[in-house]
This record gives sequence, C-alpha cells and structure tokens, in this order.
Amino acid sequence: METQKPIPVIQPWTEEFWKATKQHKFLIQHCSDCGSHIFFPKKVCPECWSENMDWIEAGGKAEVYTFTVMLDMVEPKFMADLPYVLAMVDLDEGIRMTTRIVNCKPEDVFIGMKVELAFQDVSPECSLPVFQPADPSLRISAPTDEETAAAVSEIEQLPNPQNYQTIQYEIGGKNNAVCTITLNRPDKYNAINRRMATELIDAFRRVREIPAVGVVVLTGAGKAFCTGGDLEIFPSLAEHQNSLNWLSHEGLDVQRAIASCEKVVICKINGHCLAGGLEVALACDLIYARASAKMGTTEINMGVLPGWGGTARLPRSMPIFRAREIIFSGRKDYSAEEMYAMGLLTRVFADDEFESKFEEIVNNIAAKKPIALRMGKEIMARSVDGCDIETALAVERNGIQWLTYAPDVQAVMDQFRAAPDQLTHQQKQRNIASDIK
Amino acid sequence: MGKQNLAIIGTGEVPTGTFPERSQWDIIYETCITAVKDAGIHKNDVEAVVTVAPQAQPQITAEISFGKIPEELGLKGCRDVCICNAGGSSTSNCLRLAEQLIDSGKAKVVLIPHVTVHSTILLPDLINFFAKAGIDLQWEYPFGTTYNGIIAMMTRRYMHDSGTTEEQMASVVVSMRKWAALDPNSIFFNKAVPPVEKILSSGMVSSPLHKRECNVLADGGGAMVVTSAETAKKMGVPAAYKLAESSRYFSAFTTTRNNDDVLAGFRDATQEALNSAGISKEDINIWNMYLAYPVGHPMFMEAVGLCKPGEAGKAFMDGHTWPGGKWPWSTIGDAIGRGHTGSGVSMATYIETARQLMGKAGQRQVPGADYVFQNTSGGSGMNFIATIWGRNI
Repeated sequence: METQKPIPVIQPWTEEFWKATKQHKFLIQHCSDCGSHIFFPKKVCPECWSENMDWIEAGGKAEVYTFTVMLDMVEPKFMADLPYVLAMVDLDEGIRMTTRIVNCKPEDVFIGMKVELAFQDVSPECSLPVFQPADPSLRISAPTDEETAAAVSEIEQLPNPQNYQTIQYEIGGKNNAVCTITLNRPDKYNAINRRMATELIDAFRRVREIPAVGVVVLTGAGKAFCTGGDLEIFPSLAEHQNSLNWLSHEGLDVQRAIASCEKVVICKINGHCLAGGLEVALACDLIYARASAKMGTTEINMGVLPGWGGTARLPRSMPIFRAREIIFSGRKDYSAEEMYAMGLLTRVFADDEFESKFEEIVNNIAAKKPIALRMGKEIMARSVDGCDIETALAVERNGIQWLTYAPDVQAVMDQFRAAPDQLTHQQKQRNIASDIK
Repeated sequence: MGKQNLAIIGTGEVPTGTFPERSQWDIIYETCITAVKDAGIHKNDVEAVVTVAPQAQPQITAEISFGKIPEELGLKGCRDVCICNAGGSSTSNCLRLAEQLIDSGKAKVVLIPHVTVHSTILLPDLINFFAKAGIDLQWEYPFGTTYNGIIAMMTRRYMHDSGTTEEQMASVVVSMRKWAALDPNSIFFNKAVPPVEKILSSGMVSSPLHKRECNVLADGGGAMVVTSAETAKKMGVPAAYKLAESSRYFSAFTTTRNNDDVLAGFRDATQEALNSAGISKEDINIWNMYLAYPVGHPMFMEAVGLCKPGEAGKAFMDGHTWPGGKWPWSTIGDAIGRGHTGSGVSMATYIETARQLMGKAGQRQVPGADYVFQNTSGGSGMNFIATIWGRNI
C-alpha cells in the first residue's frame, strides 16, 4: 500500500517551476509575445500558441477564493495529515491555484483571507508551494501555557464511565455483584469503532478492581448485540500498519481485557451477533442467546478471516468440523438454535422467556463467592489451553487448596466447627437455591 | 424544430446497489435483452452497438472495446461496434454517434449499453481512481485533493456568493431522495427520506459537505435501443424523441475553471437547445438534471433564470422540485439518490427521460410530460451537454 506522499508528475516544460520551489521561489509562466500569465504552465502559450515563454517570480501574496477542511475519506497516504485545509487562492499576479493553508487553525480560515507563500518539502527533489495567514496573529505560534494545560487535560481525559460515548457501565444486582457493560451504538447496530474498543478495554480492566463484583454481563443496546467492526474503520485499514494495529492493539487488547478480567463474563445475545461481534462473544465465559438471534462470521466474504480471535477461538469452542463451516461459509444467518445444536453457546431461550431465564442464571452465579468464580475461571482457562493432565490437575489441586484457606472460606469453616448441623442445613439450602426453579 | 433524428424506443435497467455476485456480463445480458424486448424488435435488428465506457474497470472496457457484446448476445445483424468515453457525458456522446450512424444510413437500430460493478474493485484501487479522476496529478493531487474535496470548495464558494444556507443545501438532497424513494432501481427505493436535520447531523467529510451530501458508489447498468424518428413513428410505439442539443466545454480541472464561464455556459447551452427545439423554458415539464453533487442544482436553476440568484436553495426547500412540485427535478434523484455508478448515472438519467415520455415511469410519472430537459456533464464538471426530448415530434 502506498503511504508515500505523491510528488507532482512533472513535464519537461514545468521542470523549471519545481527546481525553483526547491529554492523556495514561486515562478509564474509568462508569454513574451502576448504577455499572458499562464497557470498551469504549458508547452506553448494557450492564448497565442507562442513558444516564446519565460518565468517571472511571484510576490507570494494571495487571497483565499474558497477552501475546505478535509476531515474524512482521503487516501491512506494523506490520513496522517487530517484534518487539513485545502484551498484555492488567487495570487496578486492574477492566477488561481489549489494549495493548502498551513500554520493556521482550520476554523480561522475564511474566504477573502490574505495569505502568504510558504513551502513544504515532500521529497529531497520537491517542495510544494503552500500558504499561511498573512496576519501573524492567525498563525499557530508556540503554544501558550494555557494551551499546553488544555492539551494535558485532554490526555488526562482517558476513558472512564463518566465520559464513555459508546458503551454503558453499570453496577447493580444483589450485593452489587453484577456489572453490566452495554455496547451502546444502537443506530450502528453496536458496530465497534476505535472509541468503543478503547472504552471496552477500560471497562473490563476497571471492573477487575471491584471485589464485590463476581459477574459481568456484556450485552448490546437496541436490536442487535453487535455487527462487528464499524465500516468507518475500513478505509484506514488500507494502510498496512493501521490494519495490523487494529488487530494487534485494539483487537487483542479487547480480547485480553475480557478473557483476563477475573470475573465471570456472561454474554447476552439479542439480535445479530456477527463477525467482530461474535469474536467478542467468544472471549466471554458463558454465552446465552435469544432464539431469534442470528450469528456468523462474514469476514471471508471480503477475502479475509476473523482476526479478533475468531479464527483461533471458534475451533476451540466447538467441534472443529462445525467451526470450519462457520468460518468458510461466511453465513450470517445461523440461528441461535442452530449454533447451539452445533456445539457453540451455553443456552438458548425462547424470546418471551429469555429475560427471566437469563436473570435467574445471572443471579445464581452472582450469588457465588467472587473469589471462587475467579479461581474457577483461571483453572479452567489454563486447563483447556492444552497443557498435560498432570499439570492441569496440579493447577486445580493447588488452586482449590488455596481457595479452601482463603480468609472468607475459613470464616465459614469456623462456623462449621462451632455448629456442624447449622452449616449442613445452610449448605443444603444453598444447593437447592442453585437448582433450576 | 431542430435537426435531430433520433428516438429512444426501448430501455432496460437493473437495480442499482451493491451486488458483488452479479457480474458485469450478467448485467449486460439482462439490460440489453430487456431493452431489445421493450423496443419490440428482434435481436438481429440491432445493426450497431455503441457502449458507454465503464470507468475504473480496465478488463471489461477492453473486452467491450474489442467487440465482445454482439458476439455474446448473438446480434447477427450487427455491422459495427465502438466504445465511447467522455466520463459522465459518455452516454450523450453514444447517442450522438448512434444518431450519426442512423442518419447516414449505416445502421437502422443501435443498442447503447452501460455497465459498472464497483463492489468487486479493491477498495484502495477505487479510492485511488476517484482521487485522481478529473484531478491534475501535478497541480492538484499532491495537495491531497479528493472528489469530495474539490466539490466542497465549489460548494463553499457558491454558498458564499449566493447566501445559500446549509439547510438549503441539505434540502437539495432531500428533494433527490424523495424521487429516489419512488424509484425501484435506486439504492434508496422505499427508504425513509432523511430530513434536513439528519443530513446535517451526518459526519462532515470535507466542510461544508456532510456524508449524506456525498455519493454512494454502487453497481448498476442500463441499455437503450434507439432508431430514427421516422422509424419510431412508423412503428407506432411509445418513444422519446430527441428534439435539440447544445453543449459547452469549460476546463478539465476545477482549479482552472472560471465560475462565470460555467454559469454562462449553463445559461447559453440551455437557451440554444430551447431555441432549437422551438420551445421556451416554461414548456419544460421535467428538469432531468445530472450534476452528481448538490451544488450544481441550485447553480443551474439560477443560471437559467428559473429563479433569481440566491433563491434556488429556497425553491428546493419549499418543495418546488419534489414529486408533485412545479418543477419536477431529477426524477431518479441524480447520483445522490440513485447511487453513483461511474459514467452510468448519465445512462440512468436518459432511461428515465425516455420512461417519463413513454409513460412508463411508475410512481414517478409526471402527468402530461411532453418535454424533458436533460443534461449530462463529465469529469469534475468539464462540460455541460443540454438536450431536449419530446413525447412527439
């Protein structure tokens, strides 16, 4: 992919012009016979076809005829420049050119603004003539203390639940044991953009620090769970580095934030759960879906593959001959029932009873000791990663031994020692409470 | 009356949209067969094929250039083929070539197809093509121009000169989408028409152009069957008769284009065409404009004197251009309502002109449409071709 800035395609009769820009001079072609100023420079005078042409040096003063602030939908090679001001300016010598207005805040540019020539080196051989405000007070000078402070405070505004724009973060339930993280771009079917990725990473790392929370519910607002990466991301993926970073920074960090969250993450799927949306679901610990939900991985329809963990996690989450079909077919209409029958998903409930059934399950798991859920998540994760059985059993044994001697379990043991009957009764009640009503 | 001798007697079209599974040849088969059947002729009656050059699709362009359409379709009566490229004004030039072949007796019936499939072009190639088409590689492109960018600059200057507000500019899109919602071949068929506020709340792409004021690239295609005016008359079928034409060339690039020349060109070419047809602008029942972005529409409306300078934005806002309005305007919604199919929007607009005059425009049918004004324009606005079509001759 081209990321190199394009250099002007020079003609033999314009070489002189570009040589001069290297000396930071702007030459205007001039017809010695009819006196015309010519721009764009030509091989012969477009007015009189004279070949008797020379160059005069421009004074470098101009006025903005029109302009635009470029904000989106540019080629990858110009993306790093966004936002930039493109303008047509009228030089005092009577020619109009397309250029950029630099050294100026985009919001300060106006039609009729007086500007002065400046130069931007784009390659060792080439400088582009650009313009800056003639009025020095409109130029961007060294930032004031106030501006520096503002910039610093912007950096300090890292995502936090008060400023989330794309997700919601709520803690509630009995004993405040449930954190609900809701993908919240319903008008975009909760498509994941860079902001959402950053906020998800923040939210899942944040909730780790809250000891009372044992369960995190991940769900989507509106009609869909999530339809994957936002199409607005795609133009930027045309640049190799951007694309790799989207997979290895945002993508991997979101998966890690969920998978290593230390809480039981329960995915609640309503509506469509596609591509990156399904991959996020695969990073969770339990997946419950409404019967009407539709799922699939559509990446192969674009000639690529799920790259946010899907190609690796699907075959580890279900029988491999079925996982392959999902990835190779590119179908986006697998019903929840179908997925369940194929071995993915924890459970599927009919739409009309989904909410109550789901709530029951969440309440039950959330009633367990967070420390036990955390240890259980870790032991199971290590075990299915494919270590040998003796290692897995050692991890299990030592983990459970540690749990048994954890302070809050020992507190229960103290009760047991004092009043064995009472504890047995209590334990029976808890066992019954955990069964399906 | 003018000296034209051409009638469109058949049209065929496929829905515009993103259909990567529908190949370029699928579209050519479907549109050409439909157009030939619509004309009520036999395939072997087609004596020449003049094709609109597809943009950014070198392989199919080469195949069509080297004569594949008549062979593929079994057009046994075909005597010659060619392809014609003038960007968005290609279709006008195909019609001119067809008219010459017909008028000089070289062909009795000519088939004019167009096809574009954007959805299978790799995204970087597509962005790259549209970043360079009609944009100078020495004096514009290195600064980071795009199509949206140069139109945004034109739009800002027009708004500055005319006092048109951003709400009025957005209402041009509203008008286009109202027609598009009635067009089964549009990407926005049956879709809710976004109000001004929704257009202005879409992301800014290149100020003052919002996302919903830019075109959506799409796949599509169409075909027309044309013959001489006398033949059409003799056949007794519904037809659209070409009455007059005039054109102006401005410049290849927006940087070197003088706005006053453009306005004068709009006005003069239109007036010449009206004079040649022997009618006045009050006789026009439909202004079927193809200008690709919103800004050209109010510029043209003011230039030809349908309203005073600075008042066109209000005319779009007040609904004069909507279905049922006094100036039915771009009745497929131009590229912004139809979906941008490269050089294909000019084909789609001619097909619509023909449909309206043949009484086949369905929900968009303008009652009693006798005269349709239609323009095309190529590149970044390099030219302006004004044509007038009638239900009768």
